Amino acid sequence: MTQTKADLLQGTLDMLILKALSLGPLHGYGVIQRIRQMSEEMLEVEQGSLYPALYRIEQRGWVSSKWGTNETGRRAKFYSLTAAGRRQLEAEEASWDRLVLAVAKVRRAT
Amino acid sequence: MRGFNVLKSRLRALFGRESVLRDIDEELRAHVEMEEAANLARGMTPAEARRAALRSFGNLGSIRDAAYEIRGGGMLETLWQDLRYGVRALAKHRGFAAVAVVTLALGIGANSTIFSFANGVLLRPLPYRQPERLVMLDETAPKRGTLSMGVSFPNFLDWRAQNRVFEEIAAYQPGSYALVGGGEPEQIRGARVSAGLFEVLGVAPVTGRTILSEEDRPGGETVVILGHGLWERRFGADPRVVGRSVSLNNRPHTVVGVMPPGFRFPEVADLWVPLALDTQRWTRTDHGLSAVARLKDGVTLEQAQAEMGAVARRIEEQNPVTNEGMGVTVTDLRAGLVGDYRQSLLILLGVVGFVLLIACVNVANLLLARASTRRKEISIRAALGASRRRIFRQLITESLVLSALGGALGLALAVWGLKLLLASVPVEFPFWMQFGLDGRVVGFTAVVTLLTGALFGAAPALQASKVDLNETLKEGGRSAAAGAGQGRLRSLLVVVEVALSLVLLVGAGLMMRSFLRLQQVDVGLDPRGVLTMGVSLPSAKYPEPEKQSAFFAQLVERLGRLPGVREAGAVSNLPLSGSRWGRSLTVEGRPVVGVGQAPSINHCVVTPGYFRAMGIPLLAGRDLAETDSKDAPKVTVIDERLAREYWPGESALGKRVRFGPPEANEPWHTVVGVVGEVRHERMDAATRMSVYLPYRQIPLRGMTLAARAEGDPLGLAAAAREQVRALDPDQPVTSVRTMEEVISRAVWQPRLHAILFGVFAAVALALATVGIYGVMSYAVTQRTHEIGVRVALGARPRDILRMVVRQGLALTLVGVAVGAAAAFALTRVMASLLFEVSAADPATFAANVVLLTLVSLLACYVPARRATRVDPITALRYE
Repeated sequence: MTQTKADLLQGTLDMLILKALSLGPLHGYGVIQRIRQMSEEMLEVEQGSLYPALYRIEQRGWVSSKWGTNETGRRAKFYSLTAAGRRQLEAEEASWDRLVLAVAKVRRAT
Repeated sequence: MRGFNVLKSRLRALFGRESVLRDIDEELRAHVEMEEAANLARGMTPAEARRAALRSFGNLGSIRDAAYEIRGGGMLETLWQDLRYGVRALAKHRGFAAVAVVTLALGIGANSTIFSFANGVLLRPLPYRQPERLVMLDETAPKRGTLSMGVSFPNFLDWRAQNRVFEEIAAYQPGSYALVGGGEPEQIRGARVSAGLFEVLGVAPVTGRTILSEEDRPGGETVVILGHGLWERRFGADPRVVGRSVSLNNRPHTVVGVMPPGFRFPEVADLWVPLALDTQRWTRTDHGLSAVARLKDGVTLEQAQAEMGAVARRIEEQNPVTNEGMGVTVTDLRAGLVGDYRQSLLILLGVVGFVLLIACVNVANLLLARASTRRKEISIRAALGASRRRIFRQLITESLVLSALGGALGLALAVWGLKLLLASVPVEFPFWMQFGLDGRVVGFTAVVTLLTGALFGAAPALQASKVDLNETLKEGGRSAAAGAGQGRLRSLLVVVEVALSLVLLVGAGLMMRSFLRLQQVDVGLDPRGVLTMGVSLPSAKYPEPEKQSAFFAQLVERLGRLPGVREAGAVSNLPLSGSRWGRSLTVEGRPVVGVGQAPSINHCVVTPGYFRAMGIPLLAGRDLAETDSKDAPKVTVIDERLAREYWPGESALGKRVRFGPPEANEPWHTVVGVVGEVRHERMDAATRMSVYLPYRQIPLRGMTLAARAEGDPLGLAAAAREQVRALDPDQPVTSVRTMEEVISRAVWQPRLHAILFGVFAAVALALATVGIYGVMSYAVTQRTHEIGVRVALGARPRDILRMVVRQGLALTLVGVAVGAAAAFALTRVMASLLFEVSAADPATFAANVVLLTLVSLLACYVPARRATRVDPITALRYE
């Protein structure tokens, strides 16, 4: 039971990360900031779950990473979306929309 | 793409644990610092900013580990851990490990030994340029049932002129040469070769040149090319040897070249002179040559065969008398050289494969037994969170450690086994058969070792890793937890083991029976006490036939007078020595047939004392005599079979026969005697009928002397050599052997097969016995409680004994049934290796079934006895 819940959350996190990166390359800290901005401060991604998720996504070939420097000149690892990642994002967004629609229909039903 | 990414990061993780961790660390540190900077910007004090950043990050260490795990780190580490753990576990159970390793070493060693032998014969490339393009050409007379015979010189010339499929064809004829000068006179094996031979083989001399085409003509045979070994041995590797004159068969020859090391052709030749044949003297019916050719690029064996078939038909049309029914076969050179060895080697490889399978079954059994004693340990590991996959991997690693040890020991065994095997082959190996542990053998052993480990390790590991935590922990690790699945697996293993062993036992039984039959064959002569020795006179020193026969007359007489010699004689081709002389036979008054159909007979030239010296019985008429001289009427003695074939029911004496091609009009020989049949060419089958001609009427340069001694024939050897030296100090002597040795050499192959099969079957039987014993005694231990209850309820020892034995016997009988069926199907492939024994010989099958059943009964009996001594009190307390 617990496992199913975790999977769902993990899948959602993957989609959020891909979405954040769809606007351009970011380092891990930047991903968290971007998600916070995009959700208008409603979503706060835990650092502890961000990095394992990032590595997993990288292994799947959805993002690629490269060391670079941030705006203050500090060395940081930047992630960018690959073509496969872009496709994955579209697929996940579509399925998420369907889910939201379905849930909304169920809730509206009396 | 994904696969590549994973692979890249796995590789990085595998080889650079440190760099991966550093990478992760730095990234995480950058994150914390950025957070800290943001906190500072929000107006926190530096200390606060740092604390807040770290706090929001959570447990840095566990994130780091999780990240490391995801990025595929630790594969090598896990393997290393498993290895260390495996070695420790094996070291703790040295007895178990030793039994398993020795069992595997026997199996793997047997395989590596036979493989390294097969490698030398079948796999190592021949030392010629592009050896796969080389073919052998033979003439055939299919109507007469002769599938391969020598090539005649005129036919060879026509082939060479007419074919379009070969770059070049060369002919050769092995011979023996008395090399005189620069040390003891020595008989060297060599060959007369046509000018193109070295070009066909694609090997150039290290110094000097090869044979020119103008030397390959009658009168041109005054040059010689030396083999590298001979050059080193006799001429101290002197580079100025080219141009020097040496004496071969008492004729001067000029050395013109030296071949590179390792080059020999054919078989064991070490010097080469031009073939230089005369078409006037060498007719189309003298099939005395061998031929080798190189296929043109892009020409297949089939195309060459088709082309040569057409060429042969054309020659047949032009020469109907001599070439009627004659064809040509084209064979791959290696296949031609290897001949029948190939099949027996493949069968032997199959046999050792069986031995290895039995070894695997045994070790699998051991592992199963051990797994049940390790249940608690495995359950605890599972309870602590090890996944089934992880446990399986650990167990398989242990198996691989075992098989690696077994493989290493097996390879060492193979070094020794190969030496032993080579030593038991009494014939000189052709030069191209090189044996040793090369990369191919080591690679084969490594692959076999890995497969073995996986094979015997997989089933037990699968079983053992299937841990039901609730069950095991509830039962407190009690032995009954072994479960029905494991019991079934063990029973299956026993059945398989018994079946495999029976196949090997039957195979070995057939081989041994066949060899014993062969030993009992009546060769037609009495070899006990007979010494033989070859003498080949050089034609330059003994040009006149009279001189040749005079030499042998004197030598035979001198030998006969030696103290301890009862009788002496000489023969042109000694029975079972591999030397043959076939000629066509024409019988007076019978229709004359072409050479393709005339029967080929075994043609021997002998001295008068030969039959008595060899113990060949004279059945009718008289022996040949010294009075059957050159000018006396031509006579012959024929063997019993020939007499029966042509004159059944009447006397052959006085009838006339002649030899050679029917159109040649050779003189008639009158039959004056009939002797018993001798197995001249093979022990296992009567081949050609034989005729014997007096040595004074057909003088020869080369004869084999035979002397019957009163005591040990080898005691005569020195005195016999002395007699040759007394007649001609320059005359070498070859192959001094007892006749018994000659015969035993003739059957070395069946004997070696019998020995090898016997050894492997014995190993199989021993392994099977240990295996059955192991399973039964384990089963008894498992049932101690049950047996205790039975005894407490009044079962007598006899009942217990019967119960246990019955269980083992049932398994054995199932195995025997399966094995007998398998043996019946498999022994058929060895039918061609058997002599007068059917591959389905009922006696052999029955004997081995009984043997195996008895042995397994014994293997069951011992544990069963132990079961009867179970003390019910102890057994029940065992709970």
